[in-house]
Amino acid sequence: MEIDKSDGPSVTIRESERDHVNFILRDVDLSTANSIRRTMLAEVPTLAIDLVEIDVNTSVLADEFLSHRLGLIPLVSEGIENLTYSRDCTCDNYCPKCSVRLELTAKCDTDSTMNVYATDLAKFHNGSRLGDPVIRDANRRGPLICKLRKHQELRLTCIAKKGIAKEHAKWSPCAAVGFEYDPWNKLNHTSYWYENDAAEEWPRSENCEWEEVPDPYAPFDYKAKPSNYYIDVETVGNLPPNEVVLRAVETLQRKLADIAIELNKETVEASNANAGGLTTYGRNQFDDGGDSPGMGRTPYGGDGGFGGNSSWN
Amino acid sequence: MRAQFRTLEREQRFQNPPEDKSAFPLLQDAVAPHIGSFNALTEGADGGLLNLAVKDIGTKTIFDSNDTDRLGNKLRIRVESVQLAKPAVAANDKISVNRKTYPSECRERMSTYRSRLMLKVTWSVNDGAEVSEIREAGQVPVMLKTNRCHLEKFSPAELVAQKEESDEVGGYFIVNGIEKLIRMLIVQRRNHPMALIRPSFGNRGASYSKYGIQIRSVRPDQTSQTNVLHYLNDGNVTFRFSWRKNEYLVPVVMILKALIETNDREIFDGIVGAETTNSFLTDRLELLLRTYKSYNLYSKQETLAYLGDKFRVVFGATPDVSDIDVGKEVLKRIVLVHLPDNTDKFRMLLFMIRKLYALVAGDCSPDNPDATQHQEVLLGGFLYGMIIKEKIEEYLQNINLQIQSDINRGVAINFNDRKYMSRVFMRINENIGQKLQYFLSTGNLVSQSGLDLQQVSGYTVVAEKINFHRFISHFRMVHRGSFFAELKTTTVRKLLPESWGFLCPVHTPDGSPCGLLNHLAHKCKIATEASDVSEVPKALAQLGVSPAHTTFAAGPSLCCVQLDGKIVGWATHEQGRIVADTLRFWKVEGNHGIPVDLEIGYVPPSSKGQYPGLFIFGGHSRMMRPVKYLPLDKTDILGPFEQVYMNVAVTPSEIENNVHSHVEFSPTNMLSILANLTPFSDFNQSPRNMYQCQMGKQTMGTPGVALVHRSDNKLYRLQTGQTPIVKANLYDDYGMDNFPNGMNAVVAVISYTGYDMDDAMIINKSADERGFGYGTVYKVEKVDLSQSRRRGDPITQHFGFGDDEWPESWREKLDADGLPLIGVKVEEGDPIVAYYDETLGKTKVKTYHSSEAGYIEEVKLLGDDSGDQEGQMITIKYRITRQPTIGDKFSSRHGQKGVCSRKWPQIDMPFSETGIQPDVIINPHAFPSRMTIGMFVESLAGKAGALHGIAQDSTPWIFSEDDTPADFFGEQLRKAGYNYHGNEPMYSGATGEELRADIYIGCVYYQRLRHMVNDKFQVRSTGPVNSLTMQPVKGRKRSGGIRVGEMERDALIGHGTAFLLQDRLLNCSDYTQTPVCRSCGSILTTQTTVPRIGSLASIRCRRCAHKLDTYVQKHGYANDSDIWEDGQGKKFVGGDDTTTVAIPFVLKYLDSELSAMGIKMRYNVAPR
Repeated sequence: MEIDKSDGPSVTIRESERDHVNFILRDVDLSTANSIRRTMLAEVPTLAIDLVEIDVNTSVLADEFLSHRLGLIPLVSEGIENLTYSRDCTCDNYCPKCSVRLELTAKCDTDSTMNVYATDLAKFHNGSRLGDPVIRDANRRGPLICKLRKHQELRLTCIAKKGIAKEHAKWSPCAAVGFEYDPWNKLNHTSYWYENDAAEEWPRSENCEWEEVPDPYAPFDYKAKPSNYYIDVETVGNLPPNEVVLRAVETLQRKLADIAIELNKETVEASNANAGGLTTYGRNQFDDGGDSPGMGRTPYGGDGGFGGNSSWN
Repeated sequence: MRAQFRTLEREQRFQNPPEDKSAFPLLQDAVAPHIGSFNALTEGADGGLLNLAVKDIGTKTIFDSNDTDRLGNKLRIRVESVQLAKPAVAANDKISVNRKTYPSECRERMSTYRSRLMLKVTWSVNDGAEVSEIREAGQVPVMLKTNRCHLEKFSPAELVAQKEESDEVGGYFIVNGIEKLIRMLIVQRRNHPMALIRPSFGNRGASYSKYGIQIRSVRPDQTSQTNVLHYLNDGNVTFRFSWRKNEYLVPVVMILKALIETNDREIFDGIVGAETTNSFLTDRLELLLRTYKSYNLYSKQETLAYLGDKFRVVFGATPDVSDIDVGKEVLKRIVLVHLPDNTDKFRMLLFMIRKLYALVAGDCSPDNPDATQHQEVLLGGFLYGMIIKEKIEEYLQNINLQIQSDINRGVAINFNDRKYMSRVFMRINENIGQKLQYFLSTGNLVSQSGLDLQQVSGYTVVAEKINFHRFISHFRMVHRGSFFAELKTTTVRKLLPESWGFLCPVHTPDGSPCGLLNHLAHKCKIATEASDVSEVPKALAQLGVSPAHTTFAAGPSLCCVQLDGKIVGWATHEQGRIVADTLRFWKVEGNHGIPVDLEIGYVPPSSKGQYPGLFIFGGHSRMMRPVKYLPLDKTDILGPFEQVYMNVAVTPSEIENNVHSHVEFSPTNMLSILANLTPFSDFNQSPRNMYQCQMGKQTMGTPGVALVHRSDNKLYRLQTGQTPIVKANLYDDYGMDNFPNGMNAVVAVISYTGYDMDDAMIINKSADERGFGYGTVYKVEKVDLSQSRRRGDPITQHFGFGDDEWPESWREKLDADGLPLIGVKVEEGDPIVAYYDETLGKTKVKTYHSSEAGYIEEVKLLGDDSGDQEGQMITIKYRITRQPTIGDKFSSRHGQKGVCSRKWPQIDMPFSETGIQPDVIINPHAFPSRMTIGMFVESLAGKAGALHGIAQDSTPWIFSEDDTPADFFGEQLRKAGYNYHGNEPMYSGATGEELRADIYIGCVYYQRLRHMVNDKFQVRSTGPVNSLTMQPVKGRKRSGGIRVGEMERDALIGHGTAFLLQDRLLNCSDYTQTPVCRSCGSILTTQTTVPRIGSLASIRCRRCAHKLDTYVQKHGYANDSDIWEDGQGKKFVGGDDTTTVAIPFVLKYLDSELSAMGIKMRYNVAPR
């Protein structure tokens, strides 16, 4: 299905499944396309277990190892926008507004080994699917957490929090993001190594069908820029793929907006290093003709515009 | 190609360990030399080696009189038999129902796995009736899985029930909870005279030459005696031997004449044979016989009596024994001890003399003692038996000494009185077990005789369980002897072609033990029992070998046929070859009662080559290996002696008609276990494979599965181990999947950020967060309250809290019983256990001493041996988490090690069109000079395997020039829709732009090495200083500094960084300010005055000051303000010309030391 192709970027969705979407992004800059890719991978907020309070753990797995395994279990993150980041929340530690509680109680009383699966995690009711473990296997049990022998016991409480994959990979909504442009290598961005014949030895990308076969005798267009991006998003299940893309775009927009706001401010708030803000390198205002700090002047000596009133002094 | 993952099979086996036999018989074979040699001590013909040994020791005679005229009562005492029990609890333990002691208990309790040694001592008085008594000689450490161990025939299921690994191999001892093994040692091949040219032989005496013939003859109990024949420059020959670390030289003719009743003619014929025209030989022989005339000894009896007289003292013979009998004893114990019969000894000596003359004449070449051909392996069990033998002999000597001292002290002696005998036994040290425990725990050999070995220490090593590779390698390790380690020459370290198939050419460490510490090829076996050679002489006679007793033959013109160092007969050389070939056919065929592992070393006649003959060996300790015998298409067992003269094809394709008699089963048979596990090692530059053999052993892997039942000081464990996608078939045969050693990583070979320079590698941060390379270190600390208590004292310290006041904060880490809570995190200074000290009436705690935080994993309460006392010992196991950090070491399996330099964010990592991002990035510069093509092939194979979901076989030498792995795996990649060569276009993660070149990316198995920054980093700003010099102390443990040494100082001077130099050497070291007297220039005589009210303390020089009274006498008066007082109330005037200078403190120390020697140092202080 084609969406408005007249002007501005466009998206062609080629394939869409439960955990996977494949689309063509057209008429955007390479940096934009890559930014979307990077945001999808690392900055879409999801929910993952972040804190584990262990009451009893007599299993063979060590506490920290078990916690790590729990952290990597994908949790349904639809509706994550209703959850605040724990650090932004008004509560002391965590509360239902910024976290989801899951409990795990398992004890093996039989002679055979007992398997503890993600489905055994009991969520504190919060009125939505947010925080349920993602189940994709045929037996509907979810990932295996631990195996218990007779008399071994597991009793723990998990606190799932909102976060992004930049902080820890467990918050990543994506398994992998395929990304390709210029399947015919018309732009000569890369060179294919070959023994005899590149065309013979290199498998042709499936995306070649979506672009015109280049004329081998055409002159090289050195001004050409990539414009069509073949993106394939595979999720881990906590967010549907379309959601991932949309959230990524949203996140990107917000970040850009934040930059725009900051740049448009007349005065920079908290503009010193101590307050964690941007520093103006000793200058309060770029008032003399708008050139950037230090331009046309040596940083040493001179008129004292430098270093004189540095915030570090 | 049969490489498979077998995941379910493995899981099944883990849940239900086999109840019949181990699934990995190859592992049992790997330790067979150790276990077999220990078993031989107590089983086999004549009741095992220990019983043979006590027979060889014989009877000691003791008289109860000190008179020179009268001998007194005669006591003949001997050890009749030896028995070794199975490990059991101590007899004074009244509680235990199950009396058996199992190894896991010893590991956890840090005790020794040992059992009672029982000696049946028999004696008779004045040759009367024999009396015997069974004496216990302490507890001897026992090797695991031998016939003295409870685990011997256990199935994997039973082993698991006894808290062992399901495929426990044994072969080691447990001494104080530490697993120790006796390592195998290379020694000279037994019972075969070796021709040597050694310049040091010339140092024996005036006319001694460098030529010699050396034979190491071995008694049935596996103890040995080395005999050497020396050639003297005048043509004479002397016989040399060592006895109790002293050397003795005897003319060889004397030995010959003492052995049998003989004459000069017989000796002449026996050496010269038919070569009467060889004037070189006849001249020397004439001289040999003529010089002996000076001794005026003619008959056997005379000679024996002469020998006996000379060696009477050395052998400690009692007065009742005649000289002749002493002489016989000398011959029995010293000369060619492998032969019981004197006639055989005589013939062998003649052969040796002939070989010596041939060597001198240049008719034969010297034998190479460094070649495997002339070597065998001294096995741990045999060495252990040798030590026990010597200790039993010492035991008998001690009885003698005790009785002697009783005589001297005038104690009433009555041999017939059992009470007196018990008294003797009571008063001597009967604890042989303790001595063996000392041997095992230190590796030091305490011995009177030296056991015919060249070293006194370094016999045992700890069987470290860092990972399974290391553990199993210990048992295949063969050392050349620490004597050679100090040798300047490198000839002993050379890799010789003779060792093909016996010693692995790859698996030796680099550095100082290179070439000395070898590992057996994985198919190499070592004989732990003698083959049955009883049918061989018959077969030889049948084949036309004329028996030795009927013929007079000698010299290299004939083929001498020897069986285990005994001359059986003679044949012509043509005959000899036929005999050897037929014998080989018969032994492989197996119809003529000839054992298949018989070694038939036919040395053909040559011009100045090895001395010819047919040397047949069937004894212990030989190395041997299977190859296919072509005429019969059956397995033949080859030894290193015969292999030199045989044609063994490496592959079936290179077999040539009438050339090759054998073919290797597989070319990989020549590699050790570890070398076989290196994937595609045939594509690597060979040193890289050596490095991998080392690094495989340093990997943080899986040391075992039964970790809860171990108490090793330090254990490394990789939590995320995987089976490699690319593995050799032997990987599965050795059950390596039970102990995974690394993880499959997606590796891109690209120079990406600059953080991958110089063997650094970049790890994907997200991969790290998902658990890539996550490891744990387990440390065990022992807390023993009885350590401060002397034996027999009552217990005054008890674990737990007392009734007194103690800080409530201790309870955060400790439970009500005073022991730490499981799972609690402990940091430096935290309490780990509380105990109540009765004498002080106070509760105390032991604290955690490590800057690295740990978690309490386990606490074990250990009782004492008798089990009826209050527990005084616990062990605490800490779990220290070790996530990979910057600075940790990793390596692939191709000797390509690198240090993690950054954890790079996933989004910034390069990615392929399918969105795959590498776990690891390495720099392409790691390859051109190192030429580890195997790593590329592994990457290719791993990628293809991952794409198709199959395991790949990486056994070396399965590909050829026409069938290359690049094509094989390239085709698989093409089928999966990838580039044939393993390259992929990739995109920059930061910009999204396609990279200019395509990138080689694939799956490589990565190992995490145990060298981690957390164990190594050393940093200090200020800290402890040496109290004498005030300079920073050294050592990481003491938070000391890193020395800026001479060379570093030179570098700083060279760079002109004077300020930095001063900062390092003075300001940050022992900078001190000290007062100095300007007038006398001394820094030692200045002192602070006692301040008077209203004024400050000042610095005065006591040396320049005058005592107040003498000053007043001289000057009449003293100004009140000039008077000062020292700490003892003495008053002075003057000495006020002082100032303060900055010096390194050691200068002051130097000054004090010098002044102690009466040397004064004077400093000129400027400006004045």
